[in-house]
Amino acid sequence: MGYFLFRRTVGLFLTLFAVSIVVFASMNVLPGDPAITILGIESTEDARAVLREQLGLDEPVLGQYFAWIFNALQGDFGVSYSYGVPVSELIGERIPMTLSLAFSGMALTTTLALFLGISAASYHKKPGDWGVMLLSQLGIAIPAFWLSMLLVLLFAVKLRWLPPGGFPGWDEPLSAMRSLILPTVALALVQSAVLARVTRSSALEVIRLDFVRTARASGFSKSRVLWRHVLPNALIPIVTIVGLQFAALVSGTIVIENVFYLPGLGRLIFQSISNRDLFTVQALVMMFAIIVVLANFLVDIAYVLIDPRLKGRSN
Amino acid sequence: MIELKNMSVNLGIFSAVRGVDLVIKPGDRIGVVGESGCGKSMLALSIMGMVPDALSTVGSLIVDGQELIDAPESTWTAHRARTMSMIFQEPMAALNPLRRIGDIVAEPLLVHDGLGKSAARARVIDLFTEVGIPQPELRLRQYPHELSGGQRQRVLIALALACNPRLLIADEPTTALDANVALRITDLLVELAQERNMALLFISHDLGAVSRATRDILVMYGGDIVERGTTQQVLQEPAHPYTQGLIAARPQISQTATRRKRLPTIAGSVPALINLPKGCRFSGRCPRELAKCASTRPRAVTTDQGSTVMCHLFEGGTAQ
Repeated sequence: MGYFLFRRTVGLFLTLFAVSIVVFASMNVLPGDPAITILGIESTEDARAVLREQLGLDEPVLGQYFAWIFNALQGDFGVSYSYGVPVSELIGERIPMTLSLAFSGMALTTTLALFLGISAASYHKKPGDWGVMLLSQLGIAIPAFWLSMLLVLLFAVKLRWLPPGGFPGWDEPLSAMRSLILPTVALALVQSAVLARVTRSSALEVIRLDFVRTARASGFSKSRVLWRHVLPNALIPIVTIVGLQFAALVSGTIVIENVFYLPGLGRLIFQSISNRDLFTVQALVMMFAIIVVLANFLVDIAYVLIDPRLKGRSN
Repeated sequence: MIELKNMSVNLGIFSAVRGVDLVIKPGDRIGVVGESGCGKSMLALSIMGMVPDALSTVGSLIVDGQELIDAPESTWTAHRARTMSMIFQEPMAALNPLRRIGDIVAEPLLVHDGLGKSAARARVIDLFTEVGIPQPELRLRQYPHELSGGQRQRVLIALALACNPRLLIADEPTTALDANVALRITDLLVELAQERNMALLFISHDLGAVSRATRDILVMYGGDIVERGTTQQVLQEPAHPYTQGLIAARPQISQTATRRKRLPTIAGSVPALINLPKGCRFSGRCPRELAKCASTRPRAVTTDQGSTVMCHLFEGGTAQ
């Protein structure tokens, strides 16, 4: 296990290094002068030169890269051009918002999906199964932004149960949670529709295995057999999809935060791109990439925790 | 203790098990033999209430005076592990691969007997010792994939015995094991049944193992019990042509090694459920078939030697 962890951690850092090169390259080496992008084509050459010097763009590319990495490791991502404050400050303020949304979305996704998927598997080829499959087909077909608008129309505009958008901050936990409900549901419904299908088919694979028959012969209730014996053995494909979905969920926050006016990273990246705010976009893209790579790293570790047979093989 | 009266397991209008009468009392050791697909396993599953959803069980199945034929799953759940328990053919696949064997065997103790963790652990160590797993304290923490086939089958036996069932059904318990290990597992089952005064239903197509393990025997073909009696009587003087064929088809070391004679086999193979003949189900493959065999189902008659045979040849009283 120790060696396995070490190998995966080395892999994690190599991946992050590669990601940083790709992010930096796509922002800097690709054709187009960032100074023109920022100032517009009608700007004077003098103004552009001043800006390039300000941003350090007149330095050699390799030097720029290392300066970026070196500063980033110390938490310095440069100063945002459009906000005039350090990028790290912008990100720091918004991280709690986005992470709350991503984690609550993930929690709702997995809870819903496991419950629906396992129920569907236990009612295989019966109405309960068809119902879940039909609902999940619907869930997959509905785009998240459209679902968001429907939710706002129903629960905020018509019924007035929940706020239509905005986020008061965690200083007021109760109203913060209230304003997270609709965005969380909008994020999770679509994802859980996919995950429920994976859970169902994975559970159906396991249900016909011999040890499930042993568990039944041991006099355990149907739900105990399903949740304690079938589910753990069905987890490997489920965890794989959860890892991929976490990435989709984090990028999904870009849309959801814009629909619900939530001050998070998703909304920030959207605004920074509109404002041609080079350093902020660079830092945010790197940020999202790190989250995705970390999620996959955790999935790899989860495999070994789930299945003891993989432990021997991975060493 | 357990009584089956005219019990059948049906798939639509076809029967996988047809009109079986069987009484199981404490301490009984009953063998069930027959080719694959003859209904042995279905008979076992019906006694566990675990017949697949697509099939239906009809007739009467009485456990401790209680009719269970249409009983809900919860009634069966209460009986499994405590009244009857079952071990299966493939010890490799029959254990949850993600759990330590100590936890696997402890689970019924925690769930059914309400034991605490340490009490359950002590009980598991006792059970492991009883079924002959060496160094039980060390084994508790091992996973199924770290054990040999024979050890796994012992773990399954320990699991099946955890809540002291009064009937243990062993469905081909030795088929997946090598001969030497199979012999020891067979002897272990007999010992356990004797020590615990537990009934044993031993299903196998290995006639050697059955003759070693059981006192009574049921020969099944096409869902019918075609011959039954004491194991000794039936195996030494088989009456039914099917039983005779089954015994003749046993490989014997002296025969194959010295004379290289072809092993006699029963012609043809067990027909699929939907193609079973209406009368005697062995008709079509039987070397001594009579004209009425294909259309008329024979009655079960008792021979002079005390076995019961379902065959038209014996309906006059003795073999013709």
